[in-house]
Amino acid sequence: MSEQAGGRPTAVDVSVIVSVTERPVRLAELYREYSAALTSSGRQFEFIFVVEPWHKGSLEGLRALADQGDPIRIVESRHVIGESAMLKLAATQAQGRTLVLLPAYYRVVASAIPEIVAAVEGGADLANCRRWPRRDSWFNRIQTRVLHSAVTGLPRTQVRDVGSGVRAMRPEVLRDLPLYGDFFRFLPVLALRDGYSVVEVDAEQHPLDTALRIYPPGVYMRRAIDVFGLFFLSRFTYKPLRFFGLVGTLLSGIGALILMVMFVQRLGGRGLADRPLLLLGVLIFTLGVQAIALGLIGEIIVHFNAPGHRSYRVATATLETAGEPEAGRADQEADAG
Amino acid sequence: MNKPVPDLSIVVPSYNEAANICPLVEAVRDALPGLDWELVLVDDGSTDDTGRQMAIAASSDPRIHVITLARNFGQTSAMQAGFDYARGDVVVSMDGDLQNDPADIPRLLAKLDDGFDLVVGYRVARQDRLVTRKIPSWIANRIIARITGVSIRDNGCSLKAYRRSILERFVLYSDMHRFIPAMAVAAAGARVAEIPVRHHPRVAGESKYGLSRIWKVLSDLLAIKMISSFRSSPLVMFGWAASVSAVLGIGFALLTLVSVPGGFRSGMAYAYVFPSIVIVLFTSAFYMLLLGLIGEVAIRSDPTSGPIGVLPPGDEA
Repeated sequence: MSEQAGGRPTAVDVSVIVSVTERPVRLAELYREYSAALTSSGRQFEFIFVVEPWHKGSLEGLRALADQGDPIRIVESRHVIGESAMLKLAATQAQGRTLVLLPAYYRVVASAIPEIVAAVEGGADLANCRRWPRRDSWFNRIQTRVLHSAVTGLPRTQVRDVGSGVRAMRPEVLRDLPLYGDFFRFLPVLALRDGYSVVEVDAEQHPLDTALRIYPPGVYMRRAIDVFGLFFLSRFTYKPLRFFGLVGTLLSGIGALILMVMFVQRLGGRGLADRPLLLLGVLIFTLGVQAIALGLIGEIIVHFNAPGHRSYRVATATLETAGEPEAGRADQEADAG
Repeated sequence: MNKPVPDLSIVVPSYNEAANICPLVEAVRDALPGLDWELVLVDDGSTDDTGRQMAIAASSDPRIHVITLARNFGQTSAMQAGFDYARGDVVVSMDGDLQNDPADIPRLLAKLDDGFDLVVGYRVARQDRLVTRKIPSWIANRIIARITGVSIRDNGCSLKAYRRSILERFVLYSDMHRFIPAMAVAAAGARVAEIPVRHHPRVAGESKYGLSRIWKVLSDLLAIKMISSFRSSPLVMFGWAASVSAVLGIGFALLTLVSVPGGFRSGMAYAYVFPSIVIVLFTSAFYMLLLGLIGEVAIRSDPTSGPIGVLPPGDEA
């Protein structure tokens, strides 16, 4: 990991973290546009560019600006660590009272940045930009709508534009949330799950964000898997057997029913060896048992990790904790019982 | 700065119980004259006026403390939060719906003084609906007793008294508050006693329980049973399952040889059904063995971990 630092303001209001991982535009121009909006809002700021190895070529303009004293820091990873890890890394270095996450390309107009920062300064834990009104193609909008529909099927997901990628938040939100893999995309949803207050701010879509985006099939597959992973983790992180047990019980129940019917028919004199249905019954029953067994493995993992975790997050307390000091993570589905 | 540590902490998790907070506080005050206590009210993400009522209560009495959770995390998590903040050597938990009677607390404490680590109340003349509450509870208690080996008449009664040393040996998660006695016995060999306690009809607010909890209880129970029985070696548990599958596979193989003319070599289409089942069962046995190995890895990867969320000795707060 290497770092280049430009001029650092003494008291930083806003740290803008730009993760340079995919299709970066000219970063110096992006910096100028967004920093101008923050300058005009009267806030002290810094920009932290976290860069994956293969995008080092797009840093020349930034380096020049940093050398001139602009509040730019460049953090380069020597190997690919993933965007979630890069954001976490940047959060440890950020000095601002509010963090802003920006992709390395244009999503919303720059004037939206002071607005989401103001929302956080006004008391929200996280402010998510919603691109509205949309200017881009109908295909892009459909993609967004499909992702939105999939995510809103999950508990506690009152977010209308999960994919905007432009967010402001208090530093502890990024620091404390468990972020790995591609889950940085769902940061507002994860924040809601942990009980943080999340607001959405409508922001005009950037004129350069209108290109038709068609991704390789693998990308769509990954998004679908991400949403499924989010669904599972939202509800079953601490109780995997409830999910696997339900699936397993259903499957083994169907299998057992088939086998029982065939057993009764066998008693009635009908042979079994020439009936593939028998194979299907055994197959489904076995699959169900295997699903339950997987759930038990999940339970073992949860049990043996439980002492180091708390399944709640405290908002306020009139006492200091007397027991385990770590009272942070909140991976459990709410259950009013 | 925190106040002096009291002898007794009463932990009350509440969710949308605004109308019950003030009467509860008064009942606790009336029930515990002469005792050194604190009341830890846990607001489990209530959406009604519960939080404000708790704050009012706390502002009027320094012995009352409020822990506000960031959202509704459920009764188990709220209870664990209360345990984490409670400071007394003895901790009492109770519901915030006033169906438990704080006047029973002195009797719980007296029983604790008889040399027990955990005293569990069981509700006599329970004031709940028969079909949706009492009957499922009666069945669940018997199943829990049978499976965990810890016979408790009323696992669903929140009114319990614990020695702090017991609470520090395990962590509650999921919906495990129902299995506290079983966990306390498994974790620390707790000496458990039961006493009858009063149960009042709900006068305000709404019940948050439903029949949906049956599945939750059953799956949690299966998990508790499996882990408490095979915590030292998951390979044994999965090995048993693999053995059953393999034996069935052998049975079908023999059946094939006996019942299909020409056995595996008959070349007849239907003769492939039994052999296919043999393959499925042996594959499943192999899969179970692999799962058992993964279970071993999960346990061995954290050698300090004890059973069922138990903190390692000497690690207690």
